[in-house]
Amino acid sequence: MKNFSQSALSYIEALENSSARLGAWETFSALGLPKTVDEVWRYAPLRELDLDHFEVRSPDHVPALSNFARELGERAGLVVRVLDGAVVEVTGALEGVNVECVESTWSSKYANDAFAQLNCALSPYTITLRVADGAHVVTPIVILNSTSTDASFPQVNITLGRSAQASVVEYLDGGVDALVVPLAEYDLADNSSLQVSTYQRLDASAWHIARSTGSLGRDARLRQAVISIGAHYNRSRNDAQFLGAGAENELRTTFLGSGNQVHDFRTHQFHRVGRTHSTLLSKGAVADASRSVYTGMIEIEKGAKRTDARQTNHNLLLSPHAHADSVPNLDIRENDVMCAHASSVGPLDELQRWYLESRGVTRPDAERLMIQGFFYEMLATLPSELAEVVERDLGETLHHVEIVTP
Amino acid sequence: MSTLTIQGLRVEVAGKEVLKGFDLTMASGEVHVIMGPNGSGKSTLAHALAGHPGYKVLAGSVVIDDIELLDLSATERTRHGLFLALQHPMEVPGVRPIDLLVAAGAPREGLRERMGEEARRVELRPEVLERFVNVDLSGGERKRAEMVQLAILQPKFAMLDEIDSGLDVDALGAVARRLQGATTEWNCGVLAITHFRRLLHELTPTMIHVVSEGRVVATGGPEMAEILEKDGYEPFRIVQK
Repeated sequence: MKNFSQSALSYIEALENSSARLGAWETFSALGLPKTVDEVWRYAPLRELDLDHFEVRSPDHVPALSNFARELGERAGLVVRVLDGAVVEVTGALEGVNVECVESTWSSKYANDAFAQLNCALSPYTITLRVADGAHVVTPIVILNSTSTDASFPQVNITLGRSAQASVVEYLDGGVDALVVPLAEYDLADNSSLQVSTYQRLDASAWHIARSTGSLGRDARLRQAVISIGAHYNRSRNDAQFLGAGAENELRTTFLGSGNQVHDFRTHQFHRVGRTHSTLLSKGAVADASRSVYTGMIEIEKGAKRTDARQTNHNLLLSPHAHADSVPNLDIRENDVMCAHASSVGPLDELQRWYLESRGVTRPDAERLMIQGFFYEMLATLPSELAEVVERDLGETLHHVEIVTP
Repeated sequence: MSTLTIQGLRVEVAGKEVLKGFDLTMASGEVHVIMGPNGSGKSTLAHALAGHPGYKVLAGSVVIDDIELLDLSATERTRHGLFLALQHPMEVPGVRPIDLLVAAGAPREGLRERMGEEARRVELRPEVLERFVNVDLSGGERKRAEMVQLAILQPKFAMLDEIDSGLDVDALGAVARRLQGATTEWNCGVLAITHFRRLLHELTPTMIHVVSEGRVVATGGPEMAEILEKDGYEPFRIVQK
């Protein structure tokens, strides 16, 4: 039996400047792990989560990169390799981009979030990618984020200066029987533009509990994609707050569930000021006995006139034993806004499938093409250099999914 | 040389019998045109032959070269040489035409170039085929995209369900010329369902069949089109007892 708390405390004590960490640890301890009676954790198999299954420690060696990770890296201008939350290698350089590891100061922002507190207590530092004012970085940046130990708590910040532009792809792998709790913040100064895509391919035994927050200045544009394949329980909370007029957020979240996986997606688009625009597209497919939940909140502050917020959620059922829930929420305190949501849950479209078959495509190929297609639409945010590689990888994964038509 | 033989085909749609004993025989390289008023069963024929899930075959036989198509899946029917170009081709988001064609059995080698060439032959901008299948395409573009699929897959027989509706005169000419070309290039048999005679300006029919109440009521040569133009379908109507 491992002792999570003891290993966590020894880990913290070994760090420099452990007092802030201890503060976060205490907050976590006071909060305790969430319970399923709490509505936002209703779908999580938390009863199966025993922290003493995990031990917090630094990795003892740096494993070789997977072929896929290497391929991604080869197509990037800058590769930041992160192992169990710590930077182990930075390859390449891009003008106007800096990678820094800074002491985390985030704990107070996540007062009620036990997992964020765990991250703040146990992440080695905040990995900060800083893009200078006015820098237009056209070559993609790749973060290869691996988990090799029992527990990893990567903390990543991407900060774009005024009018800066960048495109970042983060790839998560590893995590056999591990707890992976990433925390990310994307800070976009006025008129900046960030494309960020997360491709989560952790081991099917991992617990993945991730949270990201985008903060958008005036006329800033955040295009974010989250593609989730791995983990036993995959929770992905992606928030955006609009701080300046003209800010725009496009968020695409997608998942493929198989086995008895649970994919639990949460979003919160908080329009604090007017003339801001959010588009959210969430699409996922559940096979076998997997299940998914999508809960999206659009919040519009009083006075945030001419806000335009839309969310769409489509779920594909690939087996009669799979299940998908969709829970859109609106909290609108202003009248002069445009707001819309739509959701659907169902099997593959029979007529689309027939159309493909009537061209001579076999049924299994037609179904695979359609499921692939369901996901390809979600890859639009990936830089073109990397889209092809991810697409291929996703295609291979889809080949192993069993489709049971009702 | 192949033969397509449809015999005594009876098809039900939404509980109603629409085709009531349809017969037709045609050979490779021939152009057969099916004309008839709305509701006479023309589109039902096309969909039933292509195995559309909403159409239930009650009786009959459809044979190409001794193979009974009605015993086969939609996929196998097409692979045995019967291709349907739809009146309203479906959007399939996320699926690219090239991937569809490869899955349908087209050789990948040089495929993009061939698609581009075929697109130009029906006056379709090739870049339209870089998008997802039929997504955001106009009605006319979709029909021309169907022609590209047809030309790549080169079936023994091509059924065209109202391929002419929604096409402007120039596009119609291009499509008709492409079909005419198919009859010689790979000896394709063309079974065109249409309301309008204008398709026949550049596509020379071997036979014209008039359909009423779910069966062929008259068959003739190209001169039939003129008779229909002059007298309409009324003289061919079967009066239900």
